[in-house]
Amino acid sequence: MKHLTEEEMIEHYYSEDFYRAEAETHLQACKQCALAYEELGKFLGSVRAPEPPERSSEYGVQVWQSIQGSLRPYQLKRKRIYFRLPQFAYAAACLLLLAGAFLAGRIWEHAHTKPSLASAPQQSKERVVLFVLDNHLDRSERLLVQLNHAGAEEEVDLPLQAEARQLLTDNRLYRQSAAQTNDPLLAAALDHLERVLVEVANSPDELNRADIARIEKEMNTQGLLFQIRVLRTKVSERQTNAQAVRKGATL
Amino acid sequence: MGNDDHALIRAVLAGDKDAYGPLVARHSQSVFRIAFRITENEADAEEVVQETFLRSYRKLEDFDARANFRTWIYRIAMNCALDVLNRQKSQAGVPIAEEYGGEQAAVQLADRAAGPDQLLLSQEIEARRHVAMEKLTPTERVAFVLRHIEDRSTEEIAIALGIAPNSAKQAVFRAVQKLRQSLAPLWVKS
Repeated sequence: MKHLTEEEMIEHYYSEDFYRAEAETHLQACKQCALAYEELGKFLGSVRAPEPPERSSEYGVQVWQSIQGSLRPYQLKRKRIYFRLPQFAYAAACLLLLAGAFLAGRIWEHAHTKPSLASAPQQSKERVVLFVLDNHLDRSERLLVQLNHAGAEEEVDLPLQAEARQLLTDNRLYRQSAAQTNDPLLAAALDHLERVLVEVANSPDELNRADIARIEKEMNTQGLLFQIRVLRTKVSERQTNAQAVRKGATL
Repeated sequence: MGNDDHALIRAVLAGDKDAYGPLVARHSQSVFRIAFRITENEADAEEVVQETFLRSYRKLEDFDARANFRTWIYRIAMNCALDVLNRQKSQAGVPIAEEYGGEQAAVQLADRAAGPDQLLLSQEIEARRHVAMEKLTPTERVAFVLRHIEDRSTEEIAIALGIAPNSAKQAVFRAVQKLRQSLAPLWVKS
């Protein structure tokens, strides 16, 4: 019998588990898990936040009075009116232009492209994606190496957080597209990386050794570094293959 | 109320600054409540309220007319509260826990009919809980408050914090584990 993990129990407590009925059945059958779950429930039941102090009914007005001096009225921009009135005309014109450009492109493509190069745009798109992803993984790898090394040094003086914040935005996009393109390995690694980046980006301004050691331990950054290196190798292989295909197509 | 909010926002964007007043008055109490639950400090919570409404005024042009103003401002409040917690963590001053007076907590938690021992224990538990909360990272703390106190779903927490749902879930797990570790001795005692 597979026992419930602490994480599964916490999920169950907050009613967020996917397999709620199974967990419930297991808890009824397994005394050990039932006891552990009861303890967790008692503990979480005892954790209460202090009640916020009452604010008077005038509180909102007081807040408004305290900030209104620092607010500048919005200027009704001419640009906004300009755009609002004929917005449908602009939209229609843009659509027409787009459609025209698309048709012209199609005609030109038919007239000038050899059949063997039909898949070239798709290939060049893939090459760009692989190049960008490789660059992102390279930067992430360097950040993780810095993080792992910083944990062993006496003094930490690295712009890790700024780099983590930059990487975080890109990483979200790559993770989402990896999830959509059915690449579970890449998606899982990027998800793990995102958690580390969030932790580093939201840490206090100056990370100390203890912070870094905690992040390393809790988030298994060494393991993540290994995953990233493996992924980089795979991406490089795919890049090489894509280049080979391209050369073959142009010959 | 939602339509009223949207009408007021349109008026503000059209140049009527005073139309923002009713919006502030309407949502200040709820923003204060969530800010206090996260910061557990009255002055910090008031700072979060002011900063939230200042920031939202500046970003009002970005507000999506299809969205709910309350949800939108709630998200800004989360970010302001996170900023306050991050700033406090980075300041190397006296830990907040040492400044904390347990008297207020005792009044809130203790059963009036409880004896002095129980009262003392409640007081100790509350002080330790407060210290344990201080030990959480800002993200873990906000995620835990939203999940445990405010009963928000993982999806809502993820949106509020601008992180992936799985990261939000992990933040809650870590918070619960850390709190359990910190409070385990008292739990046995009680």
